[in-house]
Amino acid sequence: MNTTNGQGLSRRDFLRWSGVTAAALAVAACAPASPAPQAGAGDAGAAAPAAATTVLRMQVDPEQEQPVVDMFRQNNPNVDFEFVSVTGIDHEEIAAKILTMVASGQALDLGYAATEATQLYAGQKLAAPIDEWVQRDAEELKEYFTDVHPSLIQAMMWEGSLYQLPIDFNAANMYYNTGVLQEAGVEAPKTDWTKDDFYNIAKATTKKDASGAAQTYGYAWTNRLWGGWMPWIFVNGSNLLQEEEASGGEWLWSGFYADDPAVQGRGGGWRWTAPKANDPANVEALDFLYQIYQEGITPAIELGGGDTLQGFFTTGKLAMTPAGGFWAGSLKNAGMANDSFDVQLMPKWKNQRHQFGTAGQWIFADGKNKEAAWDYMKFRISKDAMMANGMFNPVTLTTPTRRSMLTAERFADTGPANWQVFYATLDDHPDTAPIPAPPISNPMTALFVGYTSRAMNGELTPQAALDGMQKELEDLYARNPDMYTKAS
Amino acid sequence: MSSVASTNKHVGQSKSRSRNPYRLMTENTLSGMARRKALMGYLFLFPTILGILVFTAGPVLFSFVLSLFRWNVFSPPEWIGFVSYQRMVTDSRALTGFWNSFIFVVFAVSLQVLLGLVLAMILQSHMATWLRYTYRTTFLLPMLMSGAATAIVLGYMLHKEFGAVNYYLGRIGIPPIPWLTQPTWAMVSVIMSYLWLSTGFAMILFIGGLTNISNEILDAADVDGARGLTRFWNITLPLVSPTLLFAAVTGVIGGLQVFNLPYIMTRGGPGDSTRTAVMVMYESAFKNMEIGYGSTIAVVLFLVILAVTAGQFGLSKRWVFYQ
Repeated sequence: MNTTNGQGLSRRDFLRWSGVTAAALAVAACAPASPAPQAGAGDAGAAAPAAATTVLRMQVDPEQEQPVVDMFRQNNPNVDFEFVSVTGIDHEEIAAKILTMVASGQALDLGYAATEATQLYAGQKLAAPIDEWVQRDAEELKEYFTDVHPSLIQAMMWEGSLYQLPIDFNAANMYYNTGVLQEAGVEAPKTDWTKDDFYNIAKATTKKDASGAAQTYGYAWTNRLWGGWMPWIFVNGSNLLQEEEASGGEWLWSGFYADDPAVQGRGGGWRWTAPKANDPANVEALDFLYQIYQEGITPAIELGGGDTLQGFFTTGKLAMTPAGGFWAGSLKNAGMANDSFDVQLMPKWKNQRHQFGTAGQWIFADGKNKEAAWDYMKFRISKDAMMANGMFNPVTLTTPTRRSMLTAERFADTGPANWQVFYATLDDHPDTAPIPAPPISNPMTALFVGYTSRAMNGELTPQAALDGMQKELEDLYARNPDMYTKAS
Repeated sequence: MSSVASTNKHVGQSKSRSRNPYRLMTENTLSGMARRKALMGYLFLFPTILGILVFTAGPVLFSFVLSLFRWNVFSPPEWIGFVSYQRMVTDSRALTGFWNSFIFVVFAVSLQVLLGLVLAMILQSHMATWLRYTYRTTFLLPMLMSGAATAIVLGYMLHKEFGAVNYYLGRIGIPPIPWLTQPTWAMVSVIMSYLWLSTGFAMILFIGGLTNISNEILDAADVDGARGLTRFWNITLPLVSPTLLFAAVTGVIGGLQVFNLPYIMTRGGPGDSTRTAVMVMYESAFKNMEIGYGSTIAVVLFLVILAVTAGQFGLSKRWVFYQ
């Protein structure tokens, strides 16, 4: 039999050698990096090397954070920073990107999360509890806690532990265009205005042309978890999920809020234990919003963070919309004069309970520089740092959690005139609570937004939409039964 | 058997071949050249094959494996066998995603192929060269644009109350159309956007196919009196059928994997009316951190695309004509 010699490389041999080469390359790639050059022999007694530089990888908006970083480095020159900017159309998208980043091995030291993701990171054990550090540095932090309402602190807790020190917050209050209201001959809403007052104002300010197409809308909202139609669920005395207080937290309340009546009954964070999407109060709220949409008082709902609504508001095509302190500076930047808009509490329905979201930095549980990260986090919530940060300076782009920072001077240039409403939402309404955001907030939000849009476009009745939402939320909860079990 | 053949050490030599030393030397040189050529060929192929093994075949295989686990990346994977597949069968959102992808492909790809062919035929007809180049460039330009940027802009233009499209429709008496807020119209909007972006590619394919039709055949058809629709149906279409097959196959494969347009324009809404299979896969894996379930959807989508493509090639024997 003839051999195959001299007839060229066979396919089998080629594949064999390809596999061997690929395996060799894989082994070479897995080899550890060569060690750093060591000091020469006999240098055991040599002088210690210069202090090593710590590099903190921080998820932030670099432009806003740079002034604070510069201040911090004046006293901590051995700490360098690497900024990681993560953007998204809304908080759950940012959270999804961060989770993907961490899953792919890109470690961080400090993240920045809002309520929508606090329990997500804590529940996944991505975030490190800061209880020990807070208790160790209690003297330094006393001043901060005195200046921040306890409901904001509680929103950053999970199962008895604190995970973040809140830096900014936003409660959904009602912004209104003063020019549009004046043109319609309508008085500005008062603090104790009702849902019927709201409806009358919205109807009076809606203008349509001869063909029936709306030229100005009385009200508009964005389909999202915070500030969409959640404020109406709250003022109608309900919630999307069953809420209860987790146990624990006494160390914090007794340590920093011993004399504050606002901490009475507060526990170790919130638990949202079961869905109640199709509660009659929720159906009533969604029905109301669908009804005013049918009447042409509101346009088709938008997706996203509300930026598109800003355009309509600033051009006088929209009378009212729910928004937080973040609109004060945004409207100024969009060219609105400081007296052309104002803000009021949400109207009263069954009660006047408000919803808010808050945000702050969190330390990665697997970070290599947790002590340095804590030092920065502590500095970050100092008044000097907050005053320097781009979020609050030169214009207020979001509401600072420090009560002392909300002053007439801060809002003199931007408006609104009724800026006291922002913190009054917390101080005068002790039942104000964070938006429901359990560890499964990402899929929960997708269901909330999806079924809301189906109801608002008429595909489903509000009752059918909320029944569908309830069923899917129940399935979601069933797949995640141990959300609030904190492993030791 | 000749002892010559039994002692012959050279491959392929028969006992009847002469043992001319010069011939032997030439044959040795030729087989050495063939070996070197083969080696060079394999060396050129090697990076591509390695890339396919590492970046395509490997991850595909890994997806198959992942689909048998429950895994949220942060905890260890948990073996669940085919539970995710059972879940998918009863998951209305996943099934809706596949159905929407199917609807999208049926309409978008059919129209893409049809429009591409029509545009190509118009461009191949008699017209001034400068006009031909202008139209060709115009129809090709959208293909060069970012799908994501296009989706964002079209999202604003198609806004029911404040979009430019409804504004100009209103000027001619047409009431506002809920382009992105009504389920059927939302799918229409996504399909229209896809056609705007991708018809240029189909057009270019068909221009190539039409150019390859021999003028002799067309002249002969002319002599026989074949004109217009008769010529198109009996001459042009059969001869361009291989290009049609290619456009259809690539269109279906791409259409079943559409993601950026519906994700940015409608986020899969209103409700789930524009949520595609790839969107469901992405949301399961990266938003809900259910990597195993997302992999299940990916595997099923892969099998669907494989089956559809195999079906297309199988059916092509009946209608594709190769010259």
